[in-house]
Amino acid sequence: MLRFLPDPLLVASEPKKGRAPKAPELPIPERKNWLIHLHYIRKDYETCKDIIKEQLQETRGMCEYAIYVQALILRLEGQIQQSLELFQSCAILNPANPDNLKQVARSLFLLGKHKAAIEVYHEAGKLNDEDWEVHHNLGVCYSVIKDYKNVCVVSQAEEQLNAALQLNKQDRTFLTLGKVHLLSRDTDKAVDVYKAAVEFSPENTELLTTLGLLYLQLGKYQKAFEHLGNALTFDPSNYKAILAAGSMMQTHGDFDVAMNKYRVAACVVPESPPLWNNIGMCFFSKKKYVAAISCLKRAHYLSPFDWKVLYNLGLVHLTMQQYASAFHFLSAATNLQPRLGELYMLLAVALTNLEDLDNARRSYEQAVALDHSNPLVNLNFAILLYNHGDKKGALQQYQEIERKVNMLKDSNTEFDSELMDMAQKMATALQVGESLVWTKPAKDTKFKQGSAGVPIKTLGSSQQPLGTNQALEQAMSSAAGYNRSITPRVSLSQPKRSSVPLAESSGLENPPAVPGDASGTPRPEESDTPDTLPPLAAKPKVKSKSRQELN
Amino acid sequence: VFLWPSGDSNGATSCYINGKWLDAHYDPVANLYTFSSCIVLADLHGDGENKLVVGDLGTGSSNMKLKVYRGTGLMSENTLLDLPTGLVSFLMDQHEPRTPAIAVASGPYIYVYKNLRPYFKFTLPPLEVNALEQDVWNQAREDMIDPLSLKEMLDSIRDKADVPLSVRSLRFLMLDPQDMEAFVNLYKEQPIRRQTVITCISTLKKNMADEDAVSCLVIGTESKDVYILDPEAFTVLTKMSLPSAPTQMDVTGQFDVEFRITVACRNGNIYVLRRESPKPKYCIELSSHPVGLVRIGKNVVVGCAQETLQGFTQKGKKLWTVCLPAPVTTMSVMDLPTRGFQAVLVGLANSEVHLYRDKNLISTIKTPDIVTSICFGRYGREDGTLIMTTKGGGLIVKILKRTAVFDDRDSAPGPPLAQSIRLNVPKKTKLYVDQTMRERENSVAMHRAFQMDLSRLRLAAARAYVKALESSLTPMSSSLSEPLRMNAVVQGLGPSFKLTLNIQNTAVCRPVMNLAISFLYDESLYSMKTAFFKVTIPLLVPGLNYPIDTFVECLSDKGISDIIKVFVLREGKSAPLLTAHINMPVSEGLALN
Repeated sequence: MLRFLPDPLLVASEPKKGRAPKAPELPIPERKNWLIHLHYIRKDYETCKDIIKEQLQETRGMCEYAIYVQALILRLEGQIQQSLELFQSCAILNPANPDNLKQVARSLFLLGKHKAAIEVYHEAGKLNDEDWEVHHNLGVCYSVIKDYKNVCVVSQAEEQLNAALQLNKQDRTFLTLGKVHLLSRDTDKAVDVYKAAVEFSPENTELLTTLGLLYLQLGKYQKAFEHLGNALTFDPSNYKAILAAGSMMQTHGDFDVAMNKYRVAACVVPESPPLWNNIGMCFFSKKKYVAAISCLKRAHYLSPFDWKVLYNLGLVHLTMQQYASAFHFLSAATNLQPRLGELYMLLAVALTNLEDLDNARRSYEQAVALDHSNPLVNLNFAILLYNHGDKKGALQQYQEIERKVNMLKDSNTEFDSELMDMAQKMATALQVGESLVWTKPAKDTKFKQGSAGVPIKTLGSSQQPLGTNQALEQAMSSAAGYNRSITPRVSLSQPKRSSVPLAESSGLENPPAVPGDASGTPRPEESDTPDTLPPLAAKPKVKSKSRQELN
Repeated sequence: VFLWPSGDSNGATSCYINGKWLDAHYDPVANLYTFSSCIVLADLHGDGENKLVVGDLGTGSSNMKLKVYRGTGLMSENTLLDLPTGLVSFLMDQHEPRTPAIAVASGPYIYVYKNLRPYFKFTLPPLEVNALEQDVWNQAREDMIDPLSLKEMLDSIRDKADVPLSVRSLRFLMLDPQDMEAFVNLYKEQPIRRQTVITCISTLKKNMADEDAVSCLVIGTESKDVYILDPEAFTVLTKMSLPSAPTQMDVTGQFDVEFRITVACRNGNIYVLRRESPKPKYCIELSSHPVGLVRIGKNVVVGCAQETLQGFTQKGKKLWTVCLPAPVTTMSVMDLPTRGFQAVLVGLANSEVHLYRDKNLISTIKTPDIVTSICFGRYGREDGTLIMTTKGGGLIVKILKRTAVFDDRDSAPGPPLAQSIRLNVPKKTKLYVDQTMRERENSVAMHRAFQMDLSRLRLAAARAYVKALESSLTPMSSSLSEPLRMNAVVQGLGPSFKLTLNIQNTAVCRPVMNLAISFLYDESLYSMKTAFFKVTIPLLVPGLNYPIDTFVECLSDKGISDIIKVFVLREGKSAPLLTAHINMPVSEGLALN
């Protein structure tokens, strides 16, 4: 069947230039560049190194591209100093190639010599100014110089990154530019950058998540949820997005959906303290206290210095009436976070239950001094004072409550009905009711809406579904119908209850940025308050507030 | 149905059953080192039966072969002179029978085979030679300059010239002085040439779109150029330039009408060249190197080194991105015109081949090794044949079952599997619950007991601390006038021990003077020559370590040991500055007397 034979004479049949003193043909130094490149991009570094070695021997180190790739591989293997030296020798072999200079600068950057890197990038920019990569990397260099107070450096970083974006839009340039804006505390600009980025590449989950978290930080919950949901559509196991979206669902009381999401995250990142903290608080909300404690203790084990976990542990133990344990967790939390009034309030509640009144009072005083907006702190203090006969002190605290309530009313925050009831009981007990703003008719109507609207009080925009993305709605349909207010549940049959408000402290990547709670509406824990008003209940109310983390 | 005898000698074929593919052949030791650019299916003899033509890189430096497979067997082998960069089959003329020629690109040459016999060798047009360099060599030829000055002149040309030096000059500059003379004599008579090498090759129909129309060769070179060659005369029809060296190309259209060459380049960008434009028309800038480049209809699909698969329009607008589970090794198009089916085959470094239609993964093939090249088409008389070579040199042939259906699933995945996995919540024991109950009932008492004990503990600790301070029991003296630190080392097995005391003055600048050292020990157990001595150095300079040696004799042979107390004293003061207790080791030797 073979119609021809292999031709062994191919060599001989080659056309040749027959010159008398036959000089051997010199190999072209670049002849294997394509092969080196082919192996390099396929990440077959071992073969690649062999070919490079061969090629460098053949050309006695004159093959620029072989040295270049050798240096790239060395850098991937972590030998940055050696790679720098090789790139420098490439730059000597061919000073006109901007790539060599770019790689020299990159190695310098990785070695932490940012200023030197900037200089070399500028050199490379002189050879080819139309290169987005040079501008991008210059921007990165300027942004890591860590001199954010220096306006000049920041503006240079922005300038370079914007120049890079004009030449070519790349996701990472957007991310860096956004980060630069965030670090110089220019949140609006950062949002704009991320918006543009999401428009350019709508499926990049990192961009979506970052933008979502940013909106969350700014309190634009609907937009935040939309973007986080989009991120989850494209990558259902995106840890950051799950945690952020889950905490929002928790805020809206949608614990089952949140748990579903957390299960996915628990597979991806099984040792995440914030995740176990949030799972714990989900269990807590579903009144599975033992499971809650288990999860929180795991979170505490994984991150022993996280005050939020300790806060929640204290809260759960208070609910479980394990006051001695609660005291320990709360006092540990106050040591780690000494500036949060609510923590001292919880500590005071624990101490009250432990019948250590002196310390309870001291703790309340600390709480009142630190807190500026939460009327519950004052209310609990007032109850303590009243119950121990200090009517004058109670009155003072009561006035403070009114001040805070008025302040909050202006900002359109609604109040929990239990808080209101209790405050009114207090007012009656102190016999100040009629004379004060608290019950003034005009305010009263408004106020009553808040306290009497038992099931749900809605905020302006909150009736709209949260997510507009179709897939998101699919995934989180139950979350969609919720609005931002929280349903207070009052069941007087139980001696003690804690209804759980959720406040996420959206510590994005830098927890200190927003330690405060944004959306949690206060919700007091009712003690066994008899319906007969004048003698107030023996036990103070606890405003319990669980902390979730997004990270 | 046409089927080859399955390679039952290796037995591995049966291990990889896939619903849609028949395992036709698997030879794990076919010893093929090749890439997708060097594999072609062609009806070499015009008998309606397609052969597999493979450019084998051999060992990477020798033993390069042009191999032709028919069925499961190797049909012929031709030796190649250099590494094959690319290999295409094309019809070069209208003659009957219409058998395609094979063009093998290798170094600066294209070897054209007809009927598997060498037919023609095309050499790339030489590049421009630096005029100064030419001058210098001319002088050398006429023996007007000696090799050393030649070297100097060439060196200076290299540093500033726009046109790079030829290989000859570069090689000459590397030589040791004693070899220069011979080198110049050998080469001076020959003209200077500057050659580049081919990096990729493809074909372009000349003026008809038919399957069996005459095609031009399109070649990309290291000198960043793209040439289109006339198929009959092998003259350069068009030359176009790129900003970087091309690595792979996709060509569509007809040369005489309109064509489009999509070129992936070494700088990580993809350029689109069109007729009548010597420069790229569009540019796609990727964030990582393109490993595979395939055109499906009017879209370009690129597999990137960053483990992504990206789709672009032919004008460079990004359409979609898919994340891949492993790095891409190679890509190829799977085209079944009879079924109107087109998809992209992506070879991955995790020994899988994924089949994508747009961004949807429609099928996965597991392979016994990492696939390095893929070719899909008609082999033998079977239309849907998938040919793959592996990193270990194996050859895999699979045939698409005629019943195979690729359903275009929607890419929106359901809830991830992990969602149904139960959370691993630690269980609490009954003991825990009991203790919880106990705490509930007795929390006040527990708290008080705890606080009481805590206070006691603090008190005890404070007392012990005060006591230690008062009696200078610590090995650190904190007194302001003589801040000292001491540690002791015992050396020896016994009965004699060497005791070294390291004393350090920790003051910032003040020296300490007039110190004495005294030992307190059980005299029935140990003896020392001097149980009290003044520090031999009159003054301790701050920061330096002063070792003081002394010898201790153990008197007991009963294997017991004791503590020796060391006191550092200040002249005229009875309270020691500091105290150390040395736990002596048991003497392992017996006293001599």
